[in-house]
Amino acid sequence: MSVKGYIMQLQPFSVNDGDGIRTTIFMAGCPLRCKWCSNPEGFTRAEKIGWYKRKCIGCGMCTEVCPENIGIDMNPEREKCIACGKCADICPQNARMQLVSYVDADYVISEIHKHRLFYSYSGGGVTFSGGEATGQPEFLDYLTENLYEMGYSLDIESSGYFDMDKVYRSLERMDLIFMDIKHMDPCKHLYYTGVDNAVILENISGLKHFAAEKVIRIPVIGGVNDDDENIRASAAFVHENLPGAKMELLPYHRFGIVKYEALGIPYDHPDFFTPSPARMEEMREIVRSEGIETADFR
Amino acid sequence: MAITERVEKIRQNYVNTKPHISYERAWSWTKSFQRTEGQPHIVRTAQAFKDTCEELSVNIWEGELVVGTSGEYRKCAILTPEFGWLWINDEIDTFPERGQDPYDVTPEQTEFIRKNIFPYWKGKSIEEAFLARTSEATKKIGVDTGFLDTDSKWRNGIGEISADYIDVLLPKGYGGIKAEAVDHIAALDEAIPEEKQKIDFYKSIILIADGMITLGRRYSAKAAEMAQNEPDPVRKTELEEISAICAKIPENAPESFREAIQFVWFVQLGGIISENPLAWNPGRFDQYMYPYYKHDLDEGTIDYDKALELVECLWLKYSEWAWTISKNTASFFAGYTNFENLTIGGTKVDGTDATNDISFMAIQATRECMTHQPTLSCRIHPDCPPEFMAAVTELVSTGCGFPAIHGDRTGYQMLSNLGYEPKDARDWNNCGCVVPHSRKTFEWTSAASISFAAALEFALNEGKSRLSGELVSLPEKDPRTFTSLEEIIEAWKKQFRYLVRHGVISLVTAQEIHKEIGHRPFMSACNEYCLKNGKDLVDGGAKYNIGPVFTGVGLSVTANSLAVIKKLVFEEGTATMADIIDALNDNWEGHESLRAKALACPKYGNDNDYVDSIARDLADFFYDEVTGYNDLYGNHFVTAFMGISNYLPTGKVLGATPEGRYAKDPINEGVSPYTGSDTSTCLAALRSAAKMNHDMHSGGTLLNLRLNHDLVATRRGRANLGAMLQSYFALGGFHVQFNTISNEVLKDAQKNPDKYRSLLVRVAGYSAQFTNLSREMQDSIMARNAHEEF
Repeated sequence: MSVKGYIMQLQPFSVNDGDGIRTTIFMAGCPLRCKWCSNPEGFTRAEKIGWYKRKCIGCGMCTEVCPENIGIDMNPEREKCIACGKCADICPQNARMQLVSYVDADYVISEIHKHRLFYSYSGGGVTFSGGEATGQPEFLDYLTENLYEMGYSLDIESSGYFDMDKVYRSLERMDLIFMDIKHMDPCKHLYYTGVDNAVILENISGLKHFAAEKVIRIPVIGGVNDDDENIRASAAFVHENLPGAKMELLPYHRFGIVKYEALGIPYDHPDFFTPSPARMEEMREIVRSEGIETADFR
Repeated sequence: MAITERVEKIRQNYVNTKPHISYERAWSWTKSFQRTEGQPHIVRTAQAFKDTCEELSVNIWEGELVVGTSGEYRKCAILTPEFGWLWINDEIDTFPERGQDPYDVTPEQTEFIRKNIFPYWKGKSIEEAFLARTSEATKKIGVDTGFLDTDSKWRNGIGEISADYIDVLLPKGYGGIKAEAVDHIAALDEAIPEEKQKIDFYKSIILIADGMITLGRRYSAKAAEMAQNEPDPVRKTELEEISAICAKIPENAPESFREAIQFVWFVQLGGIISENPLAWNPGRFDQYMYPYYKHDLDEGTIDYDKALELVECLWLKYSEWAWTISKNTASFFAGYTNFENLTIGGTKVDGTDATNDISFMAIQATRECMTHQPTLSCRIHPDCPPEFMAAVTELVSTGCGFPAIHGDRTGYQMLSNLGYEPKDARDWNNCGCVVPHSRKTFEWTSAASISFAAALEFALNEGKSRLSGELVSLPEKDPRTFTSLEEIIEAWKKQFRYLVRHGVISLVTAQEIHKEIGHRPFMSACNEYCLKNGKDLVDGGAKYNIGPVFTGVGLSVTANSLAVIKKLVFEEGTATMADIIDALNDNWEGHESLRAKALACPKYGNDNDYVDSIARDLADFFYDEVTGYNDLYGNHFVTAFMGISNYLPTGKVLGATPEGRYAKDPINEGVSPYTGSDTSTCLAALRSAAKMNHDMHSGGTLLNLRLNHDLVATRRGRANLGAMLQSYFALGGFHVQFNTISNEVLKDAQKNPDKYRSLLVRVAGYSAQFTNLSREMQDSIMARNAHEEF
């Protein structure tokens, strides 16, 4: 029996989330609210439509098909939208897009099959991401069980904020597990992400029971977690609690701003900045000085 | 090692000078023909070749290690009035200033040519014969129309030959070829008609060999003379070496790497002088050069760097020669490209991996010299060594568009389908841009360009051109009265058949003329079976005689257009045929909403079977229709989706098309998606293209994609690119080539051409210096969709 789940997007040709050419499944709904999040459409599981004003040519075809009579600028009328997707189907510019859909797991698997040759030749496979990949445990279990048995390489990217018992079997099927440490300071973690970091750190420690390769990532947000102390503390924690794990430091970027616009959500964080490449390298050096190998999936 | 000072100097000259027209060759040729009236045409041609070799200017330019030029200029473009001179007469005054591929030519030269050369050829050229024998109906649809074009086979030299270095040229030398011809003549009886013809053939071969030997000796003498007056002792020694080498070859078989390099260039030069050929292919360079390299390494007389410098000198020779073509032809083959296709990698005849040091050296030479020639192609087999794949993808990442990358097995399959023996099919090399070819073959690989989109225009416009309103094809009913997609496809087929038919008529006419006055003794001397059989190429002397190739243009535009009609008119009913036709007649003006709907329909290049299956059906029909005709030699015609730059001129003559394209906009080349319409991922574009049953289209298929440079900036990224290539080939694809230069760089190059003289970009099936392309060609390259999302 198949199950259904909420996804934001299936992204074939992902090349930075694990080895080789992968299809990344972005699963909707996230318990965190990181202020720098670049995928705001994945905050909740609710099906939703985005409007990319910059792509829109104002042809009005969306308004002709909308059963709720929503205008081209949908933001003032968002509460009326039932996310039927008719406008996204007709839009010639892809300015209207379905940002979250409720799909059958078997559909996801059939889409993944399409690129199997590319995975084979590149050593790639499938990566579960989000939103949050662990937020729909049954959906995840069904997908990972089937894909694992078909011989695909499976990776997962998670915030680490989950109930380990519910996703244990899925994690056992992984070749590579990415988890984040967004901040070592519990108060700051709570302030910037909306949740405490205790569960996350405990789950990171718990990864030692899995055979998968582990990469702990720090999304380095200038002005938030880019100080030497925090980087050092994060590395020290990994060194002590998850021996053998690598770490990857990813610089903050603002590519997600267009999605905030598409959803009509404000994004006002002028204080966040992208650390320079030199500074990124300094931080990686700190990590290495703590006895941790750094990884790089660029 | 960095490029040497010598090579850099030659390179600077190459990127900074315009080619200059030389009439020396044409003048020698003309005088010779005046002397040989009444002789058999093949003998006259060979005699003209020999006379030219005796008279041509001999120059050794500054710093050269590899010598030989087709005239008095270093960057030289020659004339071959025996093929066609009408167009030269019409256009020569505009040569220096024309937008695409200008040549320098002085008024004095022009006057001399008009006074002394053209008058002799009046009524004698292949072009005039073709026009005299061609009906008005065929001319209307197939002469300078952009719907159907065959003029590269009756206005210019043919080329499209891969020299047989392995079984003929390198082991025998021209002395050996001549000696065998002498023996053959001794064994033949002039009283037997067939043998009498063979005697003429072998006489011609002797004249060709004598011409080549003379050429070598004249360069030897020139080098010796220059050495005497050379104050610099280093250069003096070099000149003495050149003198010694040219005294030996091409008469004798080369024994060292350097001799072999000079030999290969002399053969190339001989071919240029003989017919100013397009696609005169050096072939599997790494295979025939490696033994010389290995020999010299073992002897301790060469090292990698020395060999590389020689290869780079050769690359510059390949590039200094410019093909002389009409304005119309230049719009099809923009960028001075002469398609000297040089193939590396792949498998050997025994099936084992063929890559060697020379394969890597060729890649390095292209990367360092950034010359537009040779057209570097590589064969990638399923077990391709990772080091070779890394070298290939690294060259791709420079953005120069080289190498053209081909799937080994698809190439093999394409030749097998034409009846090649396995050992010959395994030994395939590339011809021109993307044609699987062999040194045992005679084939017109780029014979007709046929527009799928023109057939659609005629089907939807009562047989008339939408821009001119003139009836040029078969009459058809009022398009507003079509009631099903099937009916429209039938109408398309009817129009397409008409185009094919006139292409066949044109090409068979051209073949007849070539058989009478298009003998090719020089090229026949590079072909093992011509020499064995005592027959010229035009008389079917080669081991494989393959029918002329039709290149389909506008596949994706046509498939996308039919998908729009299918969806909007016959499925959704949101538009009528009348709406569509009105919009096309108005070039979409006032029909913006319909155009938006048309643009939103599925487009080829996104792995969507709704439209991809239409494209495949059209391609399959193309194959069935074209291969149903036989040529003059009894061989069936062949199909291809190649990609010369023909998508511009073939688009210019068309009105708007139903998928949303405006009138006169470019169409598309090869099996490439229409510009900007492959909006998914490059994996989807590859999957769509791979559906086109490549192995059937033995004339080659071409796919151009743009990749964002970031994707190939790291080793990981390039490894993924390698995996994409292997996947595409596993899916049955044949060729793919990438542009990876960002539009920011290209825009800057448009503004500051002087900064970017050597910037090489992919055009279609080949690369050219970006600044040597016309503005519209530059714009069309920038418009191709870059795949950049992860």
